[in-house]
Amino acid sequence: MSLLASVGRATIRQVEYIGGLTIQFWHGLRLSFRVNPFAGRRLRWKRTVAQMSEIGVRSLPVLCVVSGATGMIMALESGAELRKFGAMDAIVNLVGTSMTRELGPLIAAIVVIGRSGSAISAEVATMVVTEEVDALRAMALDPIDFVLVPKYLAMMVMMPCVTVMGVFSGILAGGVFAYFAIDITLFMYLQRTAEILLMRDVLSGLVKAVVFGSIIVHVGCLEGFRVTGGPEGVGRSTTNAVVKSIFLVILADLVCTAFFYFFWR
Amino acid sequence: MSEATRPAGEGRRPHESGAEPLICVRGLGVRYGARKVLENVNLDIYKGETMVILGPSGCGKSTLLRHLEGLARPSIGSVRVDGTDIGTATRKELLRVRRRMGVSFQSAAMFNSMTVGDNVALPLREHTDLAESTILLITKMKLQQVGLVGVEDLYPTQLSGGMRKRASLARALVLDPEILFFDEPSAGLDPIIAAGIDELIVRLKQAFRMTIIIVTHEMASAFKIADRMCMLDQGTVLAIGTVDEILGHSHPRIRQFVQRRPDPHDESSHRYITGF
Repeated sequence: MSLLASVGRATIRQVEYIGGLTIQFWHGLRLSFRVNPFAGRRLRWKRTVAQMSEIGVRSLPVLCVVSGATGMIMALESGAELRKFGAMDAIVNLVGTSMTRELGPLIAAIVVIGRSGSAISAEVATMVVTEEVDALRAMALDPIDFVLVPKYLAMMVMMPCVTVMGVFSGILAGGVFAYFAIDITLFMYLQRTAEILLMRDVLSGLVKAVVFGSIIVHVGCLEGFRVTGGPEGVGRSTTNAVVKSIFLVILADLVCTAFFYFFWR
Repeated sequence: MSEATRPAGEGRRPHESGAEPLICVRGLGVRYGARKVLENVNLDIYKGETMVILGPSGCGKSTLLRHLEGLARPSIGSVRVDGTDIGTATRKELLRVRRRMGVSFQSAAMFNSMTVGDNVALPLREHTDLAESTILLITKMKLQQVGLVGVEDLYPTQLSGGMRKRASLARALVLDPEILFFDEPSAGLDPIIAAGIDELIVRLKQAFRMTIIIVTHEMASAFKIADRMCMLDQGTVLAIGTVDEILGHSHPRIRQFVQRRPDPHDESSHRYITGF
């Protein structure tokens, strides 16, 4: 009986979490459309731009290095195998498509979770602990509108941008390997990559970037809003945000990839 | 308990007129799991009066205040603010009620990412269409009103505890609220600054005829600013009455609180620690 009860409790907890996430998502989406850079709510727009620089611009250096390293690893590993079949040319296809469709968005998501996802949940949790969220509500301001929406909008704009930059640095790193291994110039490499990449590859990567970005912001904020206890709760919520974001991003990646595999071939 | 259930409007000054109470609490109960935080609280607060909610630490004062502010919805009983039932109000109705309130939190709750000026100006920027120059002027005025000059460009962390608390009061006052909530105005402040804040509240009361609700456990400041008091203990209302009524009350727990006498079991624990 106690086993049944604990399984039931855990299930209810998970369902309740997904429910909370869904409600927050729709509420945030509805409020996002009200942010207009040209009329009213100037403050919200200013905060959005500040967040864009935080989420996007500042994560670029790390992201480019990590994505570049991944692209190079892909080229090295596949090169070792492809050499046996005399199909070294296929490195271009392999690095190009795998970076664009899969690895680019995933690496970008993981870097952004590490930098911004954790920062978002720490910031929101601190605001809850220091009664700042209560103060917002007492001032008749919606915390979702004031705290989440600028971050969400910034993420929606910047996540595809940083993903593109990450993908490009990964492909470029593959090109450096190709230059030494199969003796083609970087220009030719890039030209061939552009030829083999389909619009579908690029779009599926960008769709993933947007989905991952939504997960990062919403999980970060939800963990922050649900913080319990004092300052030690902030640490706990940050850890939870990172773990849950990575978990959900990889699940969402599977769902997206399956969707594209079955419905958009 | 008979005091707690006394019919509304029986008494003196702001609550004598027989008018409808501005805030009306009936049978409010709050439970966290099996622990009862508040039980059967009945309280009427009238327009223009200063109500001080008194009680020892952990007696449910702050929880009651959160319900009066509409930050928590009652699960047992009801809270009505000017006719709006907080328990059943829609989001829009709640926002409308909250716009008429100013809240100064125990921890000041200033936004640390903004300057003091931006903190105070925030309600104006969000809820009004005033020009930026007007907003800056009002912000400066409100800060001056609480005795802060030239702090607009500082960050809250650069202020002392007392200054932060006063800045948070300026933010609560910036939209000229009808109802002002103040959680522990003098907690953690030295007696001089605490007295200054008491003075400020008295002046606000006289100048703007605001309805002010204050939670505190500082007896001296409570007696100075209150029109009426509500004494809470262990989640229940022991008495509601004017300052004189509370001072002359015969309930042993109230006498103990007013005379600052420790609980008997504390003495035995002292003996255990000190050995004599």
